[in-house]
Amino acid sequence: MQSTLPTTGHGTLVAMVAIEARRFARHPLFLLGALVALVLQPLVSGVGDPFASDVLAWPIIPAFFIGLPSLVVAALLTRSTEAASEAMGTAPGSEARRTLAVAGAAVVPFTVGLLWLAELFAIVSIKGVHPHELWFGTMDDLHVWGILLALGPVACLGGALLGVLAGRWLTFRGAPAVVVVALVAVDIGAQIGTMGEDIVAHHASGDLGVRARLLAPWALWHSGGLPDGRASVGGGDPVWYLFYLLALCALAVGGAAWHDRTARTPRLRLTLYAVIGVAVTFLALAVFAGPEAGTVSEPVPFKVEG
Amino acid sequence: MTVDLIGVGKSYAGTAALSDITLSFGRGVTGLLGPNGAGKTTLLRIVATSIAADRGRVRLLGGDPHASHAELTQVRRGLGYLPQELGYPGDMTTYGFVEYVAVLKEWNDRRARQREVRRVLELVGLADLAGKRVAKLSGGQRRRVGLAQALLGDPRLLVLDEPTTGLDPAQRATLRRTLSVVAHEATVLLSTHQTEDVAALCERVVVLAAGQVRFDGTVVDLVATAAGRVWLTDHDVPDAAVTWRTGTGRHRVVGGSPPPGAESAEPTLEDAYLLMLGADAAVSALPA
Repeated sequence: MQSTLPTTGHGTLVAMVAIEARRFARHPLFLLGALVALVLQPLVSGVGDPFASDVLAWPIIPAFFIGLPSLVVAALLTRSTEAASEAMGTAPGSEARRTLAVAGAAVVPFTVGLLWLAELFAIVSIKGVHPHELWFGTMDDLHVWGILLALGPVACLGGALLGVLAGRWLTFRGAPAVVVVALVAVDIGAQIGTMGEDIVAHHASGDLGVRARLLAPWALWHSGGLPDGRASVGGGDPVWYLFYLLALCALAVGGAAWHDRTARTPRLRLTLYAVIGVAVTFLALAVFAGPEAGTVSEPVPFKVEG
Repeated sequence: MTVDLIGVGKSYAGTAALSDITLSFGRGVTGLLGPNGAGKTTLLRIVATSIAADRGRVRLLGGDPHASHAELTQVRRGLGYLPQELGYPGDMTTYGFVEYVAVLKEWNDRRARQREVRRVLELVGLADLAGKRVAKLSGGQRRRVGLAQALLGDPRLLVLDEPTTGLDPAQRATLRRTLSVVAHEATVLLSTHQTEDVAALCERVVVLAAGQVRFDGTVVDLVATAAGRVWLTDHDVPDAAVTWRTGTGRHRVVGGSPPPGAESAEPTLEDAYLLMLGADAAVSALPA
């Protein structure tokens, strides 16, 4: 008896994404990172402080504890199914479809990133923020959303998608760890000129070198609290930066799919060129269309040292 | 015919793995025999569309897998393949792995997919181990997982590369029962080093050596080539193709001149195979 069923490509992809998402969500590395991120956030909110402080610096938590582990998990998942590539390669589903399925599973870290964001808002609504805090009301609301989304949930998403790209193209042992180190190095390298004691001065200067940090896939916007109680946010437009990161996410998926020779259609090639163009445009807008000089806060009294 | 190979050739780094192979396969079970390096796996990989032939024409399930990606996909919808070596994602359970392949084979309806996965796991005797990680299964059990994924969807063309590796006699008997059911409706090609599996399962046998077909016919006809050339004797015979001391203390002699006092023995498929391939087969017949 022939028991095969009629087929649709879309239905297959959805089913594959569901399987990969379950695998992602159950991975110990991801679970540990997510747990640490969600537990740590209330602790860094300033346990003894009267208000939540340096809130726009908090996204480093999901980026580090969810985004980076998600990179490794996604790379491992991408490579693990290739262990059975000879059997799977003769099934109707192509390698590109398997790639898209793991990429689709990035919805898991993205969702946890959104959960982190919800937790942040919950903490802020309970603790409140000082009127001088760089937050809604003292900054453009859209810019605040841009920073929170770009450096939080989208960083979680982007980490996973970069992992899929790495998993497809880099097959040497330890490749995911190497990519993590490289990513951190690139991020630090892009911002090194804006760091140190003069960070507020750097942010306030309007120097193009400060905005050039936006080239990095995770750019620091908030200076963190300084001894004099002030803080600053660097120049550039966070909303365009968010779109730039989303374009990089799309590029990662396209680049991973490109690994499958049968997927290298003219349509994919054109799409990749278009996404590259869009990413460059968004980056240019982030660097040049937003405020040149950063925003510096008034001192927050309880943060003044000494 | 389900499979038509005409003048098929394949080379690796200048070495011909297959030379001018012309074969056709229809419904039923065909065994591929041959020493290591004969080209069995290469042939099966071409039929399974895992690799493309360098020369010749290949038609599978009425389609040309090289004509277009759409036609290749259509062929693959009717195909089940168990490779010689099959790795498994470390975190997947038996059920999870087979389900994953079921999704790749476009079983999109979740309930139907779950029923089909359970059906094939039952067929290979792994229903009780569905929740166990594949990494924790024995070699024979993992081989059966591989067989299960190949059986998904009752493929019209089933390609099995050494399916009995790692299976104990009871498991091989189960496999034979499974394949004898499948073969009523499907074309089954299997390669094996176990001549008794070929004898038990296959109506037809193809013997490959050095990338060429040395024999293509029924098992009975192959065995007949060894008639009158197999003896039992009390002594070793130097000019025999192969000789060994059996458990009864007597020597089984295959090929060569009949030794004095030897009694004629009923030839087996293994004897015919050893005679056909001579030194090549003798080397490959030695224990590893």
